[in-house]
Amino acid sequence: MKKVALSLFVIGSLVTSCSSDDDNTTSETQIAAPATYQFERNGTSTVSYGGQTTRILMAGELVSGFSDTSKSETDISAMFAHVEGNNDFSDVDLNASNKSVRSKTAASTDYYSANTTAAAAIKADFDAFITDQVNNVFPNWSIDATAGNAGQIQQAGGGSIRYVNAKGLENNQAFAKGLIGALMADQILNNYLSVAVLDAGDNRANNDADVLDGSNNYTTMEHKWDEAFGYLYGTDDALAPQLGADNFLNKYLARVESDEDFTGIAQDVYNAFQLGRAAIVAKNYTVRDTQADIIREKISEVIAIRAVYYLQAGKVDLGTDYASAFHSLSEGFGFIYSLQFTRQPGTDSPYFSKSEVDAFTTELMEGNGFWDVTSETLDNMSESIAARFNFTVAQAGS
Amino acid sequence: MFKKALFLMAIISVVAACSSSDEGSGNNNDDFDRTALLTNLSNNIIVPVYQDLNTKLADLVTQKNVFIAEPNQVNLEAFRTSWYNAYKVWQSAEMINIGRAAEINYVFQMNIYPTNVSDIQNNIQSQNYDLAHVNNNDAVGFPALDYMLYGLAENDADLLGFYTTNSEAPKYLAYTSDLTDQMNALTQDVTSSWSSYAQTFINNSNNTATGSINKLVNDFIYYYEKGLRANKIGIPAGNFSATPLPDRVEAHYRSDVSKALTTEAVTAVKDFFNGNSYNGSASGESLASYLDYLNTIKNGEDLSTLINNQFDTAQSKIDILDSNYILQINTDNTKMTEAYDALQMAVVLLKVDMLQALNISVDYVDADGD
Repeated sequence: MKKVALSLFVIGSLVTSCSSDDDNTTSETQIAAPATYQFERNGTSTVSYGGQTTRILMAGELVSGFSDTSKSETDISAMFAHVEGNNDFSDVDLNASNKSVRSKTAASTDYYSANTTAAAAIKADFDAFITDQVNNVFPNWSIDATAGNAGQIQQAGGGSIRYVNAKGLENNQAFAKGLIGALMADQILNNYLSVAVLDAGDNRANNDADVLDGSNNYTTMEHKWDEAFGYLYGTDDALAPQLGADNFLNKYLARVESDEDFTGIAQDVYNAFQLGRAAIVAKNYTVRDTQADIIREKISEVIAIRAVYYLQAGKVDLGTDYASAFHSLSEGFGFIYSLQFTRQPGTDSPYFSKSEVDAFTTELMEGNGFWDVTSETLDNMSESIAARFNFTVAQAGS
Repeated sequence: MFKKALFLMAIISVVAACSSSDEGSGNNNDDFDRTALLTNLSNNIIVPVYQDLNTKLADLVTQKNVFIAEPNQVNLEAFRTSWYNAYKVWQSAEMINIGRAAEINYVFQMNIYPTNVSDIQNNIQSQNYDLAHVNNNDAVGFPALDYMLYGLAENDADLLGFYTTNSEAPKYLAYTSDLTDQMNALTQDVTSSWSSYAQTFINNSNNTATGSINKLVNDFIYYYEKGLRANKIGIPAGNFSATPLPDRVEAHYRSDVSKALTTEAVTAVKDFFNGNSYNGSASGESLASYLDYLNTIKNGEDLSTLINNQFDTAQSKIDILDSNYILQINTDNTKMTEAYDALQMAVVLLKVDMLQALNISVDYVDADGD
């Protein structure tokens, strides 16, 4: 008995000594995280994420295109799948760019490199929002929407006019909020923060030896991390984020931050980006990956909180102010769609699988869609979503 | 005693788990017989493949000469059959881009598709061309012959017209003839180089970036990713573009053999991985046996088994495709992307897990466009 106890003790201490190598609290003290997201080599910045800024701006113009009835399906589709040199945007810099939003939609290494079948289905969903908008909503732009018929519908009290499809869904909201998951979250959580991308090829050896990426002032690994950063802060002030700089993830991080139940989340995310980047400079990949997991958890939460928030907001207006309800539910629809791109830390899986998400959106669109969705459905869905996260429906819905 | 052994085992496993998470399972100094591996690949796969291809191309030249002398339907069919037979063997050769083949960019002169019809037509018109020039990489080889044998016209009568009644028939005959002779000359060159190169190849068995195993394994994975996965399935299925591109399929003009060629390619990849002789059913040291020797396990399963299973899964996804990929893409492209996805699943096993086990660095990088 004594021997067994002793051996267990020895094994236990081995396990401890083993895991203490990985223990980030010990390691973190060795890394001096800078006060802001500022990193230099030989006096010059090593931070670069122009391609991400470009895509956020493209996505912004593209979503505006949903409200411009002079645009054809081809016009909007071309903004989605931009080809270098084509005059798809009002901004000449965007036209000159070789970047495209569509090519990075549902395109992460971890989720879609071996699942192009799902990626193609997701891209087709986004294409369908464009098609529906141009072919069904645009022709009914000045006609009042009714159950089963696309058209316009005004919020109570002389509020905003919303343009909805036959099921009460605003295609622009579904598209924009869906893109928060399919483009921003997927690229950040499942691509650029992925070990498969950060450590691809000789990235780790090169980062260890300070071998730079061609003529650039950064190592490839540093750049990958910055590209993740760029999908969130690409149109914001990197050194002092103001938040609300775009109409995508950046804005909704601000919205969640402003809910007192979640105050501090924005700083947590920024700090994790900073510390992870500093860890790459310090060649400490354990700390790097710990920060990646923090970002995965928080950004997944932002998406889930907003999904529940809008389902609850829509519920309140249901039956009294259809336009307001439809607007909220359309945003909620997009955030629910985005759940399939979230990432549970420490796993290769989203919080909700594609088939679970498809079941949610199918349920919302059943029959006449938002025209006859019930409070009970919205509550059940809210509870199902919140149950997998660390927040309650009440917290998200406030 | 038993308890003690168990105790020691526990410690060892803890220590092992500890160190394996700190660094990749490096094995610079394993005792695997790398020379035997290279010898098997050289003697039983590479050289026999080139010899067979050389024979098939000699036949292609023969059939071509018969056709040139008398361009009729019967001779056209014989020429086409010979082209197809050679194209099938080619599927075993494309992955071997080492030695003379690498020096002369053999692959670029044999199977770049889609072929460039305007370049071909310009060559035909000008009758002044250097088929080995890099600008002509997409105007030569099997894809160019595909166009000359199937793509010139909608039907065979009209196609034969280009070689008979057309005012420029001599030019069409000359280009077809030159293309075929060039493919044959290149193949003879590469095949004969191995009579001396084989020994150099086998002797260069060390684990360095220029070692034979390192280079050949990189070629193999690169081919799997690009030549097989992307070119044959992914690009036509639209995985790298906004919409599917059915005109990018291999053997586009013949159009009903794309699946057969892919199947040949997957079989060749599997045989190479397992060290199966090209002629006969023997097998020898291989990447698979090397992994087994290193006892490479992933998720509790031998990595070699996982890779072979994935090749089989991919083949089963290819089996259900239409023999004509253009029809498949236009009717149900999902089956194409599913085949691609199954092929891709093996890329991770090969490129990450196998390379890590063999302690080989990737010598090429994919750009993601940012």
